[in-house]
Amino acid sequence: MIRVEGLTKVFRRPRTFSGPFGALRTLVTRQYEERTAVDDLSFEIGEGEVIGYLGPNGAGKSTTIKILTGILTPTSGTVEVNGLVPWSDRSANARNVGVVFGQRSQLWWDLPLIESLRLVGSLYDVPAARFETSLRKLRDLLGLDDFLDTPVRQLSLGQRMRGDLAAAVLYEPPLLYLDEPTVGLDVLAKEAVREFIVETNRAGRTTVILTTHDLADVEALCKRIILIDRGKVIFDGAIDALVDKPRRLVVTLESQPEDVRGVRRDADGRYVFDIHGDLPGMIASIAAEHPIRDLSIEEPDLESVIKGIYTR
Amino acid sequence: MTRIGFRLALAYRGDIIMTCVSLVAQVFLLRMIWTSVYGSRPAAAGLTLDALLAYLTLANLQSFATQTLVSRTIHHRIRTGTVFFDLARPVGYLRQMAAFQVGNTLGGLLLLAPVVPVVLLVGSITVPVNGPGYVITLVLGYVIAVQLALLISLIGFWLMETGAIHLLYRLVSQFFAGTMVPLAFFPGFLGALAEILPFQYTGYVPAAVYVGHISDVSGPVTVELAWIAGLWCLLALTWSRACRRVVIQGG
Amino acid sequence: MAEILRSLRLYFLLQRASARGAMQYRLNTVIGVISGAIWQGTGFAFVWVVMHTFPSLAGWGLAEIAFLYGLRLTAHALAMIPLMSVNDVQWIVRNGEFDRFLLRPLNPLVQLMGNRMGIAQFGDLLAGVALLAVAGRNAQVQWDVWLVAFCAAAIVGGALIEAAFFLALCSLSLRMVDTFALRVFIDDVFSKFGSYPMKIFGGTVEWLLTFVLPVAFVAYVPSSVVLGKLDSPWAPAAPLLGVALISLAYLVWRRQLAHYQSVGH
Repeated sequence: MIRVEGLTKVFRRPRTFSGPFGALRTLVTRQYEERTAVDDLSFEIGEGEVIGYLGPNGAGKSTTIKILTGILTPTSGTVEVNGLVPWSDRSANARNVGVVFGQRSQLWWDLPLIESLRLVGSLYDVPAARFETSLRKLRDLLGLDDFLDTPVRQLSLGQRMRGDLAAAVLYEPPLLYLDEPTVGLDVLAKEAVREFIVETNRAGRTTVILTTHDLADVEALCKRIILIDRGKVIFDGAIDALVDKPRRLVVTLESQPEDVRGVRRDADGRYVFDIHGDLPGMIASIAAEHPIRDLSIEEPDLESVIKGIYTR
Repeated sequence: MTRIGFRLALAYRGDIIMTCVSLVAQVFLLRMIWTSVYGSRPAAAGLTLDALLAYLTLANLQSFATQTLVSRTIHHRIRTGTVFFDLARPVGYLRQMAAFQVGNTLGGLLLLAPVVPVVLLVGSITVPVNGPGYVITLVLGYVIAVQLALLISLIGFWLMETGAIHLLYRLVSQFFAGTMVPLAFFPGFLGALAEILPFQYTGYVPAAVYVGHISDVSGPVTVELAWIAGLWCLLALTWSRACRRVVIQGG
Repeated sequence: MAEILRSLRLYFLLQRASARGAMQYRLNTVIGVISGAIWQGTGFAFVWVVMHTFPSLAGWGLAEIAFLYGLRLTAHALAMIPLMSVNDVQWIVRNGEFDRFLLRPLNPLVQLMGNRMGIAQFGDLLAGVALLAVAGRNAQVQWDVWLVAFCAAAIVGGALIEAAFFLALCSLSLRMVDTFALRVFIDDVFSKFGSYPMKIFGGTVEWLLTFVLPVAFVAYVPSSVVLGKLDSPWAPAAPLLGVALISLAYLVWRRQLAHYQSVGH
């Protein structure tokens, strides 16, 4: 579905000057600032996958998405999306992809939601009959009926997001880019969005690329994640592989010896053991040597793993 | 508030410099048109070409210097709700806004200063026939301009969208101030209308005093003072109504 | 061809949507149109007041000046009604809306044009057409089909000249070069100087307004042809200049668009 090879994007922008004749100065003085946003990126995404595309702020996530959608032209590298080069076949590519920006709506602010959807239908040349079928399905799936005739500016954030999702899949694109689709939503609304993504992916074999800072989204939706930092891929694989680490036993003791079975005391006076095999036996043997005041077991989770990677 | 208005004028110097360029273009255009129509005629409507050109240069400079930003600011602050901070201050709202406008005008004048020679070169100027009279009528005219701007901007407490009203006001006030044609040339009912409206005091009257087209200042000054008093009452009345409305809306 | 028709159809759909949005602020819309007309009305009132006292401006009578004025105004309105929202380009780029235009299968310029309606410009159109109609009847012109056709061509040509400068300057804003002040200036020159016989400016300025910033070709040259004041075999070709300039401007737009860098990354 998507093939990216050696993708590099260097932003080179003229230094801009402000002031009334700033425009002229900007044009005349040819000074540039350069910044590499994406650096030799390669990956492949197959049809029907749901990918978590993650990275800290400024890692190059948005730049990648903008190249994949044809908004930006890369400095070098090749990209193929559903057989097309996004930036040179932008219009054709546009019909293959649905895009939702959580922070920015594509709906017409002053118009009722239904009018916005009709406009999107026209822009993508959706025939009337297919539009009606699509709309009927989406009304059920997203519960649009309550606010279909409400001007978009009066919708709650959750309603607006449902409207935006509807607009993005109305023309049944095989590929869906979701940029922070749950940002700012309450628990129920987040759940609705996630269910919708699962359903869209299942029913239409739609490929979904999800960028988000909410790792609960990723855990609920994605099997595979691509993690990037400073423009480079630092992990690409199944979530299970990333979080495949032993559980840990955290113990606080009555006394505070320097080390217990080779594990040193940490700054909080706790001892952290990796758990291999027999947990009760392990606890019993520690307890036999030192009286235990408190103990807990830590499961490895995506958030702590990724936090670990970000701060590395 | 005075200081904020002043700073704002400097902050938007880009706009103001562009307005200066536009002012120069305007004065040049007027000079060319009037020179062309006068042809070889020595005088029309009691004005020689020299006096007329001086009048136009001056009237345009004045109109630039006395243009008011305050209604736009008030409109913006009402829409965004920041007006409540203004209302919470211990100084009367109208006084704050008037102070803001004065500061803004001073800032504008500072930026205008270097342009004045250019404008005078492109247009033309004569020595003042009645200097003190000019200053008095102009200052009073400026007070009227600020009062009118405040009055217009108070509409914003009733209507949410007032951009078009402000534009309309600016157009009408500029035309009847006589910045392009001295009021003396206004024919028939247009002349009568211009005579009734207060806008002439921000443009025509001071400039006409300067070039000596109006020789007796006492009449205009009396009318100006009457306008100021009348507008002051009207403002106080409108403001008390607006105040009540703000309380009712409650944000 | 099919793509052009599709773009046109979608442009009208988008424009209808923005008009419907604007109609929710009905009072403001009405006042917008009226103030557009009054703005131009006061401009012409100046001419009228001056010519009340002086019958001739550089050999042009009131009806003739009115015709010139109306021609320019109509051309201006035709240029700005569809292009008004292109004026917002810098803002639209900055808040990221322009990305959305690139995500849809329709020429981004068409989408930008359909984004907002130039309301006040309908006032200009109203005032312009009214002036043209009245002046066309009062000026000494023998109207025939060809002259009316030339007039229409001249209006479109003039609109294209103004649109070309406007579009080219707006294009630069795709790359965050702020040309707003420059646009205001150019528009100011077109509207201030375009509505009078070039002769009154004389020498250098007349030459500048003809060959550097071709203000003269918007209305002065075509009006002179219609009013029989200009007898050059080249003059009737004036409307073609607009076609050439707008093509050039569209090339500039395309070039700037290719270098579009989005914001935020």
